[in-house]
Amino acid sequence: MTELSVASLLFLSATLLAIGLFGILTRRNFILLLIAVEIGMNAAILNFVYFAGFSGTSHGLSGQAIAVVLVGLAATEVAVGLAIVLALNRQRGSINIGDATTLKL
Amino acid sequence: MILEELAFLALAAIAVGTALLALLSRELVHTILWVSVFFVALAGLYFLLSAPFLGVLQLGVYAGAVTILLLFGVMVTRKRIFAREVATGIGPVPLGLAVLAIIVLSVVAASLPQPATPVRSYDVAQLSATLFGVDGAWLIVLGLVMLSALSGAIYLVREGRE
Amino acid sequence: MAVSFVLVGLLGDRLKKLEHGGWVAVGFAGAAMVVAVLVVAAEMLHPSHYSDQSFTWLQLPGSPGAFPNGFSLVIGVLVDPISALMLLVVTVVGFLVMLYSIGYMHADRGLPRYYAELSLFLTAMTGLVVSDNLLEFFLFWELVGVCSYFLIGFYYEKPSAASAAKEAFLVTRVGDVLFLLGIFIYFTIDATAGGGLGWAASGFKFVNGSTPFLAGAMGGSSTLQTVAGLMMLAGAAGKSAQFPLHTWLPDAMEGPTTVSALIHAATMVAAGVYLLVVASLFLGFTPDDRLAIVAVGGFTTFFAATMAVVHPDIKRVIAYSTISQLGYMVLAVGAGFAMVGMYHLFTHAFFKALLFLAAGSVIHAVGTQDLFKMGGLRRPMRVTAAAFAIGALSLSGIPPFAGFFSKDDVLSSVYTAAQSHPAYWPFLILAYATVFLTAYYIFRAFFLAFSGDKTRDPTLPHPHEAPWVMRLPLYILSGLAIVAGVFPFVPSFASLLSIGANGNVPPVFGTTDLILSALSVGLGAAGILLAQALWGNGRVYVLAPESALQPVRTILLNRYYMKAGYDELGLRLVYGGSRIADFFERYVIDGTIRGIERLAARLSGTLRQGQTGLVSDYASYVVAGVVGLLILLLFVAPFVLASVGGP
Repeated sequence: MTELSVASLLFLSATLLAIGLFGILTRRNFILLLIAVEIGMNAAILNFVYFAGFSGTSHGLSGQAIAVVLVGLAATEVAVGLAIVLALNRQRGSINIGDATTLKL
Repeated sequence: MILEELAFLALAAIAVGTALLALLSRELVHTILWVSVFFVALAGLYFLLSAPFLGVLQLGVYAGAVTILLLFGVMVTRKRIFAREVATGIGPVPLGLAVLAIIVLSVVAASLPQPATPVRSYDVAQLSATLFGVDGAWLIVLGLVMLSALSGAIYLVREGRE
Repeated sequence: MAVSFVLVGLLGDRLKKLEHGGWVAVGFAGAAMVVAVLVVAAEMLHPSHYSDQSFTWLQLPGSPGAFPNGFSLVIGVLVDPISALMLLVVTVVGFLVMLYSIGYMHADRGLPRYYAELSLFLTAMTGLVVSDNLLEFFLFWELVGVCSYFLIGFYYEKPSAASAAKEAFLVTRVGDVLFLLGIFIYFTIDATAGGGLGWAASGFKFVNGSTPFLAGAMGGSSTLQTVAGLMMLAGAAGKSAQFPLHTWLPDAMEGPTTVSALIHAATMVAAGVYLLVVASLFLGFTPDDRLAIVAVGGFTTFFAATMAVVHPDIKRVIAYSTISQLGYMVLAVGAGFAMVGMYHLFTHAFFKALLFLAAGSVIHAVGTQDLFKMGGLRRPMRVTAAAFAIGALSLSGIPPFAGFFSKDDVLSSVYTAAQSHPAYWPFLILAYATVFLTAYYIFRAFFLAFSGDKTRDPTLPHPHEAPWVMRLPLYILSGLAIVAGVFPFVPSFASLLSIGANGNVPPVFGTTDLILSALSVGLGAAGILLAQALWGNGRVYVLAPESALQPVRTILLNRYYMKAGYDELGLRLVYGGSRIADFFERYVIDGTIRGIERLAARLSGTLRQGQTGLVSDYASYVVAGVVGLLILLLFVAPFVLASVGGP
């Protein structure tokens, strides 16, 4: 089996998370924002999958199980996010989050 | 072994690259194309980490469903699908924060000791046993979350709401 | 027993249905009366019977210091001879007054409010009567107080009514606070006496089985007990309008006359006397307490009667007479014959309610309360005149009317007590003087209102007799005012009054001391004759302006300037207090608050700039926070832990 070092994998996931964060902080388009969130989320899932192997055989797959749940959650989140995008677009004619500075619709 | 190391490096490079391209691209549709490649690269990584079930899931849910959903979102919110996004400069604060985060997390990663050889067993039956657990509690919770998200989404986009 | 639970169930149910109006209230009051009669019958069949049904609401373990044996709150129903008797008075008068109200209040607005408040009052009053512990008693005590406040202020648009309601509330509140203080002192006695008497643990019950809980156990001589007894007296004085807390009752006549009849003649003001009776039987008074009670009662009796002599307002005359008669009851309790006080309460409730209802009938007919404008009402209002006369004769203590027997008992009991307590003599003399005054002032009112040929003020509407719903209660009460005094001579009924709870309260009904009786009857008759001579035949006797008695009249009309004095005192106190409060508020509280406000304004002005509404900005705050936490956790925490030698 593979012997990928913890450090290399963590470095990868950290980089991906940072990219996601960077996107969240700088992008103004709501869909881009969602994509950035997805990238960050995938970085987390990657960690779960990797470390699933370290917890012994009896619980060997609970990390993967969590990953499955997270994938489901992320998909749900995209669905709700897109619903918000649609609502915003209908309300304000724009999906630029700079236009949505008040909580009320 | 060296082959797998090389594969990891290649996939990691693709993932980082496509993620960056996706976020820096000026055109939203290009972004979505890049991010679908990113999802596929991650699926490859999961296969490499002997989690083929998750890999398949990643391909199906992310590279398939989520990408389509995002495209759909772009389609219904835009008059012209291939429109350029208004350029946004990268603010110093977010950039600094992102870099800082990378540094911190890297330091953490480097400071962790290398644990014993991981067990890389692949057994879908065991995974499903874990996933369903006692009375399938996880799945039920996930289902409830999805249900409430679904009703919330319907509420948000329903007609005649003003 | 079961009967009492049925009673409470009925009363509780009644409140809900009230929007339907007066007849519903009358019906429930009637049902309550029937139940009360059944209770009395049951008590008569079983002399000296105590039935206590209670439910422990809250029970706390004891703590050394406060309540060594624990503390429990109990809601219970105690039916014993006195509460049965009081129950009878309250429900009978309550029912008749409700019935009378149907006619009397017919033209008023806010009737649902009136009947609801009246029913609430009746509920509270019956609850007070059947309470089996002191705290529950106090609860209902306050409840009747608030009902009284509502009902005095029934015509709340009228400033005088509103202020009378406030006055009644505040003055009785003085008594209530002292009463509460007395309850606390009893707590203290209970907690400190020899490791605790277990009174608090039992839920402050009056009786334990059929023996008083506290009266025996306290020994009856400690200073603390004297003080507690005085506090009970103060509470009773507030509620029963005894000197010096009497000022509110005459002003309470601003309420509807029916309310005056029910609350301020027969029931609520009697609650003060009832408290004294209960305290005397179950809590125990010391000799010093008794002297104080006799003094208050005796003085009030005379004092109130003097003010009634000159007053021109028919209702206020009766109100002063109520204060005076309550003084008699207090006197009897103080003399050590609690059940005699109870007896007078019983008869007084009927003839005083009769007087008030007859007066109400007059007011209903002529639309004024001023005696000097009335006159000549005998012919158009025969029933009312007869009823008023019966009430007045009873009040004056003329045999064979009810008032004679009970008043005679009061006087002879005080006489008996005075044999061994010389200090009681002056108050006995005052009480006898009052017999004369009473007969005079009530017949003065009677002659002013009814004798003569026509009304003195021709602008008054043509008088007419009251409708049947108003006459019926007058008939019934007239009958009761005549025969109520004879009840104690019926053996089974007498057993109600002879409950010597711990054997030291012997009844002295119908004393055979003929000289004393003759004296009181003679004084009463003299008073009547004087009134007849001065006011009979519709004449108006006017005191000459240069008469030496004129200043006395002024003082009496101004009620000894006590109310004015209280107002002045109140003003001084309130203004002085508020000036201090004003200073404190302006400089201390406001200063602090303004400082805080300025700080908050400056802070928020700074923080506001962060609230751009942009999601990206918020996200960067979150990220900054997470990064900060990570730094703290990974770099600072290990360092700190290492420096303090932790793990």
